[in-house]
Amino acid sequence: MKKIIFIFLLFSQIFYAQTGFEEGNELYKNGKYELAAKAYESVLASNKESAQLYFNLGNCYYKLQQTAPSIYYYEKALVLDPNNAAALNNIKFAQKRTIDEIKVIPKVGFAKLLRDFTGIYPFDTWAYIAIGFAFLFLLFFVGYYFSQTGVIKRVFFAGMFVVLLFVLLSVAAAFFEKSHYDNEKPAIVFAEAADVRSEPQNASSSIFILHEGTKVYVEETLDNWKKIQLTDGTEGWIESKAIKEVKKYY
Amino acid sequence: MKRYLILFLLCFQGLLAQVQFEARVSKTTLGLNERLRVDFVMNIDGDNFVQPSFDGFRIIAGPSQQISQSWINGRTSFEKSYSYFLLPSQKGILTIRPAVIEFNGQIYKTQPIKINVTAATEQPRDSNDSQISADDNLYLVADITNTNPYINQPITVVYKLYFSYNIGINKWDELSKPKYNDFWSQNIEIKDLILEEGMFKGERYRYVVLKKVILYPQKSGKLVIEPLAMNIEVKLPTNRRDMFGRVIENIVDKRVSAGAKTINVKPLPETGKPADFTGAVGKFDFKAIPSKTTLKNGESLDLVLSVTGTGNLKLFTLPKPEVPNALEMYDAVHDEKVNTPLSGMNGKISDSYTIVPQYKGDYVIKPMHFSYFDLSSRTYKTISSSEIKINVLDGPSQTVASKDVASAGKNKIEPVEQFRYIDLRTELVSSKEPAFFGSNKFYGLLLLPFLLLPIIVLFRKKKEAIDSDVFGNRIKMNNKLAKKYLSEAKKQINNKEPFYVALEKAMHNFLKAKLHIETSEMSKDNIRELLLSRKANPQAVNDFIALTENCEIARYAPSSSATIQHDFDKAVAIISELEKQI
Repeated sequence: MKKIIFIFLLFSQIFYAQTGFEEGNELYKNGKYELAAKAYESVLASNKESAQLYFNLGNCYYKLQQTAPSIYYYEKALVLDPNNAAALNNIKFAQKRTIDEIKVIPKVGFAKLLRDFTGIYPFDTWAYIAIGFAFLFLLFFVGYYFSQTGVIKRVFFAGMFVVLLFVLLSVAAAFFEKSHYDNEKPAIVFAEAADVRSEPQNASSSIFILHEGTKVYVEETLDNWKKIQLTDGTEGWIESKAIKEVKKYY
Repeated sequence: MKRYLILFLLCFQGLLAQVQFEARVSKTTLGLNERLRVDFVMNIDGDNFVQPSFDGFRIIAGPSQQISQSWINGRTSFEKSYSYFLLPSQKGILTIRPAVIEFNGQIYKTQPIKINVTAATEQPRDSNDSQISADDNLYLVADITNTNPYINQPITVVYKLYFSYNIGINKWDELSKPKYNDFWSQNIEIKDLILEEGMFKGERYRYVVLKKVILYPQKSGKLVIEPLAMNIEVKLPTNRRDMFGRVIENIVDKRVSAGAKTINVKPLPETGKPADFTGAVGKFDFKAIPSKTTLKNGESLDLVLSVTGTGNLKLFTLPKPEVPNALEMYDAVHDEKVNTPLSGMNGKISDSYTIVPQYKGDYVIKPMHFSYFDLSSRTYKTISSSEIKINVLDGPSQTVASKDVASAGKNKIEPVEQFRYIDLRTELVSSKEPAFFGSNKFYGLLLLPFLLLPIIVLFRKKKEAIDSDVFGNRIKMNNKLAKKYLSEAKKQINNKEPFYVALEKAMHNFLKAKLHIETSEMSKDNIRELLLSRKANPQAVNDFIALTENCEIARYAPSSSATIQHDFDKAVAIISELEKQI
C-alpha cells in the first residue's frame, strides 16, 4: 500500500512538472512572458529539466528584454543538447542585444580536429556508442566461433578487431569529452556593467568593463573572485556575483 | 732734514693732484618703489664718458652733466659729474657696473657698487611731495566674490582701479598679468572702460573696472592668485600755478599692484558621490533624444545627449550610451553652446551619436545616468534618461538583395532567419541524475560482452561433450518421452483408448530410459529379470507388469472414468517408486 502511494506521488510529481511546462506554454502564447517564465521556473524548482524547457525560458526572457538571463538559458539548453537548432538560432538574436562585441578567435591545429570529432556527441552518447560496439564485438565473436566455413570465419575474425578498435575509440572519445565538459566552465555576465581587473582585489586597476550578456569562461576561483577568459583570449579577474556559471544549478 | 720735509711735501702735493673718479649712490638699500641717484664724479676734465649699462634699473632722469670749478685761497678745485636717477625694476642685489672716462690717454674706471633692492616700502607722508599724494589717491583692488568655494564652483575676480577726484590718469600698462594656476579661467572682455563712482574707504572715489575674470578652481586646498601689477601715468596737481593761475600738474609714473589673494577651495563631499560622477558642478538638466525609434534597414538614427543648465559645462564629459552590438554606433559629434557671463557658464553641450542598425529586431538602449553636484542644496543629484526602444523593421541587407532577384508574380518563400517560437513538447528528466558515463552501470554494460566470451566458449565445449555422448542422450530422450506420454495420457484421460495407448508408451519409454533396452527386447520376463537385478522392490515390479498388462486389456474392455483415473495415478506412483529404486 505504501509503495502504491509512493508511486502515485512520483507520478503526480511528473504530472505536475509536465503541467507546469504546459501552463508556461499557454501563458507564453498569450504574451504573458513574465508569468510564463515563472511557470517554467517552477518546473526547474522541482529538479526537472530539458533542453526545450531552457529554450522556452530563454525565449521568455528575450521577450522581456532581459538579455543576460535569456542568453544564460539558451546556453543551458545547449549544454543539454549541443545541436539544438532552435536554441542555436535564437541565441544569435539575443547576442545581438549585448553591448560587448568580442571576437571569437578560432582554435586551430590537431586539438581542434580532435575536439571537432569528439564534439559530435556528448559524452553520455559516446558511452552508449561504446556499449553498442561492445555488443557488436560479442556478435562478431559468436559469428566467428560458430561459423563453419573458412571465409566467413576469417571475415568475422577481422571484423572483431575492427569493432574492438571502435570500442576503444568511443570510450576514449567519451573520456575526452567528459574532461572537456568538466574543464570548460562557461558563464554569463549578469551585472549591468562589471570591471575586469588585473588582480583579484578591488584596489587593482581595471583592465576593461564587461556588460550584461557577455559569455566568459571561468578558469579559477579565489575567494569571491573568478579568473575569466574571453573568447578572444584576454584574461582577468571578475567578482563572482557579477557572473553566473552555465553548468551550475543555482 | 729740511730736504726730506720738502720732498715729503712735494709727494703729498702729488698725491693731492691725483686723478679721482668715483661713483656715488644716494643709498645702497632701497625699496622697489624708491629712487636711486647715482653720480659719477671726477676731479679732472675727462673725456669720452661711457655710462655703464644699468641692468635691473630703469633710467628715469639723466644723464645730467655738471661742472664746478672754484678758487679758494688760490687753490683750484675742479669737479665734473654725471648724474642719473634710477628706478629699480626688480628685487634683489643689483650691481652698478663701472663707468669709464679717458684723461690724457689714460683710462679710468669707477668701482662697481652693489645695491640691495627690497620690497616696496611705505613712504612717509609729505604733503609737498607729489609722489606721496599719488599713493594716497590711487588704488588697484581685486574683488573676489567667494574665497571659500567648492571645486568647480565659479568665482569671479574683478579688478578695479580707484582714484580720487583730484588726480587724473593718462594711460596704463599691464606690467605682469595675473596667473591663475590650478584654475580654469575665462577672461571677460571689456570693450569700453566706463568711469563709475563708488565709495571706497569711506570716501567717494571714481573707479574703472579694468578686468573681469571667471575662475573655476580645479584643485582643493589653498590656491594663490598672483597679483596684477600696473604702471600708471598719473597727473598730480602741484602747489605751483602757471601765469594764468592754473594749477600746474606733474606727470608721474606710478606702479600699483593688487595684492596676492588666497582662495581656500573645498573638495566636493565624498559621501553620496555617485560612481559615474564626472565632475559636473552646478545645476543641469539631462536629456537623451533619438531622432526616430522605428526605422527600416539602411536608415540611421541620431541619438542626441544634451546637458543644459548653469555650471562648469566645458569641464566634464557626458555619459556614453551603451548600445547592443547589433546597432553600430559612430563617434560622437560634440557641440557646445556656452555663454560665459559673470555669473558663470550657462548654455548647452551635446553629443550627437549616429547609430546604424545592422539586424532586424527590437533593441533597447539602456537608460543613461548623469550626475552632478548641486551647489544650492550641496548634494549630488542624478538624472536618468528613459529607456529607448528601437524597432528595426527589415533584416540585414543580404536578404533584401536576394528578394530583388526573385521573379515577379511568384510568392517565393525565402529561408529568412526568424526568431523561433517556443517548443511545445518536452521530455523532462531529473536534473539531479548522475551522468551515465562513469557510472557502474556503464562499466558493467561495457564489460558484459567480454565476460560473456568465456561463457560462450564453455557452453560450446559442454554442448560438444553432450553431442558426443550418444548413450547418455538416449536415456535423456527416453526420459523425456516417458514424461511426454504421461502428460499426453493425462490429456486423454477422458478418452479411454488413446489414454491407454499413451500410458503404455510412457511406461515403455520409462523402461527404455532406465534399463537401456530397445523395444524389441521388451518381454515380461526380460523386464522382471532386469528390474529385479537392479534391486527394485519385487512388489513394485509386479505392479508395473500388472499395469502394463492391464493397459492392453483395458483398451478393449469397457471401463469407467474412475478406473482410468485410478490407473493413471497408479502409473505415476509406480514410475516414481521405480525411479527412486533404480
